[in-house]
Amino acid sequence: MEQERIIQTQNLSKFYGPHMALENLNLDIKKGATGLLGPNGAGKSTFLKTILGLIQATSGEGTVLGHDIRTEGSAIRSRIGYMPEYDALNPEMDAINQVRYSGELLGMNPIVALQRAHASLQYVGLGEQRYREIKSFSTGMKQATKLACAIIHDPELIIADEPSNGLDATAREFMISTLINTVKQGDRSVLMASHLMDDVERVCDDIVLLHKGKLAAQGRIEDLKAIDREIEIHVWGGASKLEAAMKQRGMKVRREGRVMRIAHESEELTTEILSCASQVGAQIRRMHEYEASLEDLFLVIMENLGYDVKTSEDLFSHPIHARKVDAPGHMGGGAS
Amino acid sequence: MNEGEPITPPQIPQPQPIPQPVVTTPQQPIPNVTQPIQSVEPVTTPMATAETPVTGQTRMEAAWGSSEGDEDYTEMASVGHTGSGEIFQQNYEPWRGELNPRWMRNWAILRHHVLGIVKKGHRPWGVPTKIFLVLVFFASLSDAGLTLLASLIGESDFHSMWGVNRDNLYGHVLGFFPRNVMYYPIVAALLVGGVISEDRNHGTSALYFSRPINRFDYVGMKYASVAIIQAVIIIFTLFLYYLTEIMAFGRGWAWIIDTFPLFLGALVGGVLLIITYTSIGLALSSVSKGKFFPGIGLLAIILGTKTLAIIVKNLFDREILYLLSPYDCLAHVGQALVKTQPTYDQYSWTWSLASLIVMNAISLYVLSSRVSSMEVTRE
Repeated sequence: MEQERIIQTQNLSKFYGPHMALENLNLDIKKGATGLLGPNGAGKSTFLKTILGLIQATSGEGTVLGHDIRTEGSAIRSRIGYMPEYDALNPEMDAINQVRYSGELLGMNPIVALQRAHASLQYVGLGEQRYREIKSFSTGMKQATKLACAIIHDPELIIADEPSNGLDATAREFMISTLINTVKQGDRSVLMASHLMDDVERVCDDIVLLHKGKLAAQGRIEDLKAIDREIEIHVWGGASKLEAAMKQRGMKVRREGRVMRIAHESEELTTEILSCASQVGAQIRRMHEYEASLEDLFLVIMENLGYDVKTSEDLFSHPIHARKVDAPGHMGGGAS
Repeated sequence: MNEGEPITPPQIPQPQPIPQPVVTTPQQPIPNVTQPIQSVEPVTTPMATAETPVTGQTRMEAAWGSSEGDEDYTEMASVGHTGSGEIFQQNYEPWRGELNPRWMRNWAILRHHVLGIVKKGHRPWGVPTKIFLVLVFFASLSDAGLTLLASLIGESDFHSMWGVNRDNLYGHVLGFFPRNVMYYPIVAALLVGGVISEDRNHGTSALYFSRPINRFDYVGMKYASVAIIQAVIIIFTLFLYYLTEIMAFGRGWAWIIDTFPLFLGALVGGVLLIITYTSIGLALSSVSKGKFFPGIGLLAIILGTKTLAIIVKNLFDREILYLLSPYDCLAHVGQALVKTQPTYDQYSWTWSLASLIVMNAISLYVLSSRVSSMEVTRE
């Protein structure tokens, strides 16, 4: 069954005078958890403001939860929960009243808002701290309070801007598990903008990668990772000879001491590697498939693929681009 | 007791054991304690010999046996994990309610700011602000109190000094000292100081604009909140003053009809004052990130321009600079509304009204442009 689409854009562009912030974005974000990645200045904030209906797109169109981003911003903001990156809480207020007020700002009855504020704070782990003033909270507790503000009306989509930014290990773990729980148990969707690739990888199934206002990649993380598949071998004795032999046979090898990674381009690769090792008399002590992390993928796409590639299907249909996947020069790779 | 009888110890009644009821202790649940990985002694199997029949086990050993791991004389067995119980259980609770429309959201903003003066859990106004508001409220009622006193002591001179008349109605709202030096401008400064600037400073603007609240509603409700609190101090006390005169002196309809236009004139003057002070104050608040600058800026504009105009008038006998002073323009228009003795002779009150309109227009322009630039993603 095809998954429900929560955000769709067609040729969405936004210009601030001559400065291009977003250019021809064609996005198709499904229900579930999606990571919004991109370096600073990539257009993430502009994209979020555009889909919240806070700024008008210069051209193109889009929908969020079926509402037009150009004309139904208010309806969109009623159905989503936004968790801002920066402080968005009054430090003089206690948590329960801050969260209640955020519910009232959505149009909730004060009594209902108070009930939901209790439930939301309990959910984010601040049940015992809810009557404390926010100024006495740690960064993690403030982030949790912001999340409680975002989920008080049980939104269908939660937009979390850097939810784990600045948190210590425990608070970060709790925030991530809370977001995962919201997606899995609550059956809600999360659009998570973050620089922390590990967190995105844990929470999200899909990513959208922006760079300089353009779509660099979009798709399932697992699918996108496949562009960077390699076989990693640990060699004992004759590593240089083995490297030369493999290169002679046309394999893409990058080497860091006794560890080598060979681009996984054919099903016969392991046989070929063993054959080379046998030929030069090198011992292969260990051989396994190397799974790239999301961070590797991010760097690969940013540095090598260019911006004409749009989706994972496109990535696979451009093998020449995929071949460019490589480590930086100091690791023996071809990337500059 | 007879002699020769063995002495027996007296029979001291021994405490009998109280029959204990048979307590049937309910079966306690076995505590959930995660069992550590235990080391289990190996079952030693004799080495296979030539006479050993070839069994499935032997074939397994032949197939999988190697030197690796043979040195281990222990084997690891883990006991299945049992839940140890959790204090915090995270359950997502869905909500199927309906959100109320726009008026309810606006009411929430208004309520948050106004109720914050008297109730915890809403906008946290500073304690000095609250104390000052209470003091000014009662100080503003001084003319009402003195009117009541005049009715009690029956002194007509005392009443003519403090009772309701054209000058006193004007003075309640627009009198310079003490009301427009020590009361109303300071009240306005304390109220407008952080109303918008603190949203900018704390980032709470994101809380508003990521909700279905537009900029007009946001600034409109903030404006209305500050204006309502000032109205309680200025307009409501004016009403109480007028009511005290009616009740204490038993004024009839003829007196009410006669003086009501004056009351309305003072009321309109008070509304103009509230609007002007609020517009200028919120404009200053919108360009700032703290509450000190807007507050001190408002006082500087109101009292500074007035002082400058007085100096210029005294030195050069020119009143035209009063047009730059919000208070003087308000006073001039107020004098025209209440028809009291004008103190600004050199130009018409319509110039003051035009100046007030320009001041408010500029302030509202600054306010709207600054609020429209407030960000959701970052400030």
